[in-house]
Amino acid sequence: MSDQPPVVAEGLMRHFGDVHAVNGVDLVVTEGEIFGFLGPNGAGKSTCVRMLTTLLKPTGGSARVCGFDVTTQAKEVRKLIGVALQDAAIDPMMTGTELLDLQAVLHGIPKGLAHTRAMELLERVGLTAAGDRRVGTYSGGMRRRLDLALSLVHQPRVLFLDEPTTGLDPMSRISLWEEVRRLNTEFGTTVFLTTQYLEEADQLCARIAIIDKGTIVREGAPSVLKDEVGSPTLVIDVASGDVEKTKLILKTFGDDRTVEHGIGVGLTGGAGAMADVIRALDDAGIALHKLALEAPSLDDVFADATGHRLEGAAAAATSGAPATAGKRGRRRPGK
Amino acid sequence: MTAIALPVADHSYDISVVRQSLTLAKRSIKSTLRQPPQFVPGLAFPMLLCAVNTASLSKVFRNQGGTSGYLNFVLVSVIIQGVLFSASGAGMDVATDIQDGFLDRLISSPLARPAILIGRIGGSAVLGFMQGSLFMVILALFGARVMGGPAAIVTILLGTVLLATAIGGASSALALRTGSAEAVQAFTPMFFTLIFLSSAFYPKEKMRGWYKQIVVHNPLSWFIEAMRELVVKGWSWSAAGKAIGIPLVLVVLGVTWAGRMLAWRLRGAE
Repeated sequence: MSDQPPVVAEGLMRHFGDVHAVNGVDLVVTEGEIFGFLGPNGAGKSTCVRMLTTLLKPTGGSARVCGFDVTTQAKEVRKLIGVALQDAAIDPMMTGTELLDLQAVLHGIPKGLAHTRAMELLERVGLTAAGDRRVGTYSGGMRRRLDLALSLVHQPRVLFLDEPTTGLDPMSRISLWEEVRRLNTEFGTTVFLTTQYLEEADQLCARIAIIDKGTIVREGAPSVLKDEVGSPTLVIDVASGDVEKTKLILKTFGDDRTVEHGIGVGLTGGAGAMADVIRALDDAGIALHKLALEAPSLDDVFADATGHRLEGAAAAATSGAPATAGKRGRRRPGK
Repeated sequence: MTAIALPVADHSYDISVVRQSLTLAKRSIKSTLRQPPQFVPGLAFPMLLCAVNTASLSKVFRNQGGTSGYLNFVLVSVIIQGVLFSASGAGMDVATDIQDGFLDRLISSPLARPAILIGRIGGSAVLGFMQGSLFMVILALFGARVMGGPAAIVTILLGTVLLATAIGGASSALALRTGSAEAVQAFTPMFFTLIFLSSAFYPKEKMRGWYKQIVVHNPLSWFIEAMRELVVKGWSWSAAGKAIGIPLVLVVLGVTWAGRMLAWRLRGAE
């Protein structure tokens, strides 16, 4: 059982009448990785998670979690997974400590151990001081952290996080990312994370699957997926008198690219060609004001796979999510 | 956040239905007691109605002890009215759990499924017991007496607990079927219609026509009259049997319905 990947789905389907919410999803999540499920609202991410966490029965295909079939061995699956769904489902009338104790009872953890574990988890997520307060008084970020702690009470082998940072402020979002990373690196917990935020997938996930209209359209490491989309863009800023001369020189290194500021060129030779570009410009006596190499973003990958941009990408950017290498003026690179 | 080592994983714990049910019942009771708007009306309205009825109807009972006579007559009705008011809150809580996603948290864990209902309905039963006891004490302070003695008091409280269980079951079933607190709330007046169409506040001997026919055939009247016999006339095995038996039948119906509705709601998952 332990030799099997933590999550395997084969042709997984969920149809609601004529609506094909999930339409033949195949995926494998390997032990100890953070796997991201990226897609816009209504793409089928949450439906997939609900099937993998035994909350919804598939109408076709199959899925195994920790080696157990989600349909026929649901009880075994539930013992081994931690789940934090889209809206932190927390009873506002109870305190953080009471909820952790309750969660421990749900998993059959003995009373003494349950309380010890509750205290440890409250400390882990930075809620010790608020542990005896009713959850109704918590901020959104605190509720999410408690939700995460609740899903860890029984130290699950696979942690399912369904859009864990939706609606959080930037600081709370970063704090939650750090905790997820720590869980993964310190304890080797496999994390299956759904998100509509490009930055979140880029920052956290070793591998992602992009889902659109119930079907996986791309799968792989973010860096590989971005590389597959096309060459990186070199952005150069020079004095106004040198612009035309610079453009002529850059043509020998790749195609023109439209960028927000300066001159852009798609480097056919990749990052390795940068030194040659600098040398050529230097030989021509052109002084550089700015030089930056920008890799394709996951939004470019999404656009390449689906023909449209990911909904909410702009919102995520403006909500203060930290910038990544791929965050810049959006463009559609050639393949 | 601080880095704390988690204990070694162990996923082989025994799942105890009893422990899980008790924990969920405790949650249900705590949650209710922490929300005064949820339990105060169930205490205040029956007492208010009792005060108004006592003032206006005690003359009818002058030959049977005046105010004390009417308090004895109405004691059981006050308890039942309070239980009807409060026990339907179980359904509201179940619906809220569905709407807020808390039910998903429960069913994505290895929780024994019956514990979901046992916990919630058990909480109603305990609250019903507390409520019944409190009404008895308050009305006793104003002169009400249970002629059947301690055995009758125990029987009345047991009947109250069973009724709370039945109503808790029925309202939970409604919540599981509709998934909406608003829908459950819309059904709540139906429980009150039943009490006003019974002999709860007025002797059926004084009624006439179609109204009397409804009252006579309302099972709630049979239950109230059996409990009232224990209060007004004294101990009787026959009355005690009805006071336990009638709500027991309702428990079977209410809990079975709730069980079927839970199975229906979980069908998508299991």
